[in-house]
Amino acid sequence: MIERSSAVSIVVASIQEVFAQTGDSAPATLNEDTVLVGKDAVLDSLGVVSLIVEVEHRVEAEHGASVTLANDKAMSARNSPFRTVGVLADHVLATVAELGAA
Amino acid sequence: MIAPWLFERIVAWGDAPALVWSDTVTSYRELAKLADAWHEELSARQVGPGQVVAVEGNFSPNTCAALIALLRLGAVCVPLTPLLRSQREQFLDIAEARLLVVFDAADAYTFHEFPRTVTNAVTKKLIAREHAGLVIFSSGSTGKPKAILHDLVALLEKFHKPRRRKTTLTFLLFDHIGGIDTLFNALASGGTMVTVPTRDPEAVSRAIEKYRVHTLPTSPTFLNLWLISQLFEQYDFSSLKVIAYGTEPMPPSTLKKLHEILPDVALVQTYGMSELGVLRSRSRDSESLWIKFTGDGFRTKIIDHILWVKADAAMLGYLNAPDLIDEDGWLNTQDAVEVDGEYLRILGRVSDLINVGGQKVYPAEVENLLLQMDNVQDVAVFGRPHPMMGQVVSARFNLKSPEPLPDFKRRLGAFCRPRMAAYQTPRVVEISDDAQYGSRFKKLRSG
Repeated sequence: MIERSSAVSIVVASIQEVFAQTGDSAPATLNEDTVLVGKDAVLDSLGVVSLIVEVEHRVEAEHGASVTLANDKAMSARNSPFRTVGVLADHVLATVAELGAA
Repeated sequence: MIAPWLFERIVAWGDAPALVWSDTVTSYRELAKLADAWHEELSARQVGPGQVVAVEGNFSPNTCAALIALLRLGAVCVPLTPLLRSQREQFLDIAEARLLVVFDAADAYTFHEFPRTVTNAVTKKLIAREHAGLVIFSSGSTGKPKAILHDLVALLEKFHKPRRRKTTLTFLLFDHIGGIDTLFNALASGGTMVTVPTRDPEAVSRAIEKYRVHTLPTSPTFLNLWLISQLFEQYDFSSLKVIAYGTEPMPPSTLKKLHEILPDVALVQTYGMSELGVLRSRSRDSESLWIKFTGDGFRTKIIDHILWVKADAAMLGYLNAPDLIDEDGWLNTQDAVEVDGEYLRILGRVSDLINVGGQKVYPAEVENLLLQMDNVQDVAVFGRPHPMMGQVVSARFNLKSPEPLPDFKRRLGAFCRPRMAAYQTPRVVEISDDAQYGSRFKKLRSG
């Protein structure tokens, strides 16, 4: 089981990594409310693609769970699971839990 | 009789070397004698016009002689390679072969008969013409092999015009249209075909030096391996005049390096397809990826950036797939091209095209850039389905020396930023030890 704080840390570290790869500096403050998609987002859509790949990679490396965060279900959800850092962390936890249940 | 001129020439070339196989030279005289023996042997087995006969082997003296005899008998020949033995039953079934001749590494052979008769409408069309045929299998993008039937009389026509005698190293396999093209080219011009036991850079370099090879038809992937091997100082390549590369787009960096190392060698891009044979073309210059089609017997046109070809020697049709040739005889090559006057540049297969949120990415273009990155030995770029973008660009790298993935990804990001658009930049990145090419030295672009 992954702690929620650990999921948030993974998402924050992943955003920093994506910024490091693009050579831009990451926003000074990254917290649960940081917006990832749509208005006021810190990343563009391709940046979000990279972020999701990075989060998946870290979840696997740190917790041994191989998850696919951007699946059709996630894309068709009424509220995007990629809206904010906190929402994405919850999505990570839910996807890992589903994996365990399957 | 089918193409009588070819047999007259084979006899006329006399003691000239026809074939180098397993480091043994076979003269035209010996090859003609072998072909006569095969003519007798196959006739005794009731092989005649319209009979489908599969031949599994390499370009050994007996294999080549059997192929010549089958042509003379007006049969339909199905050349196969032992490398694809696991698919052999399927190939024999699709081609409706009633006889299989298997050649081993010592050029000894065995016969295998099957109770089959020809039912395929395309094969029957060829038989009605009383022409010899050739069945070539292409792997196809879906993985299901497609059987291509050629009318050998039409295919041989372009070799009728006498050409300069030269020594060519056959790099391609016996079941490949390019390999068959090289064989007939040699036979029709009195040239020598040199084969190599393995296709590693060392064996190829040694054969070029030893047999004074003039022309090397190969693939960009092999040329890359060759460059990395750094064998250029160790062997004498002074006989080498032409390197013909085809079958996949050429990275400009490879071309440039090769031209620096071998400035006197003409680097020529050829365009071939199992469905069309090899089309004659000329490169603008040795450092150019722009080609102009020059041969007789075919016409080209471009519709929506896609190359269409109408060739006299085009296949009669697929034995097991819907016809690709329209009613006016034009074949959609599915290759995207860029046009500059009478020259054009092959961008790659439309089926390899990656669509990132509506933006088109040609894998070869991205690969060519990534190959210039430090510590990158090879890379395959391909599309990966993605629910957000439709597809995203994925890249699998071979590195020269080990490097941690996070460090590599940061370097990759820094490398890509000034050189390509964000949508072209690989989003999914892997480092692998596995080779990026298959048994045909063609790049494997898949996840």
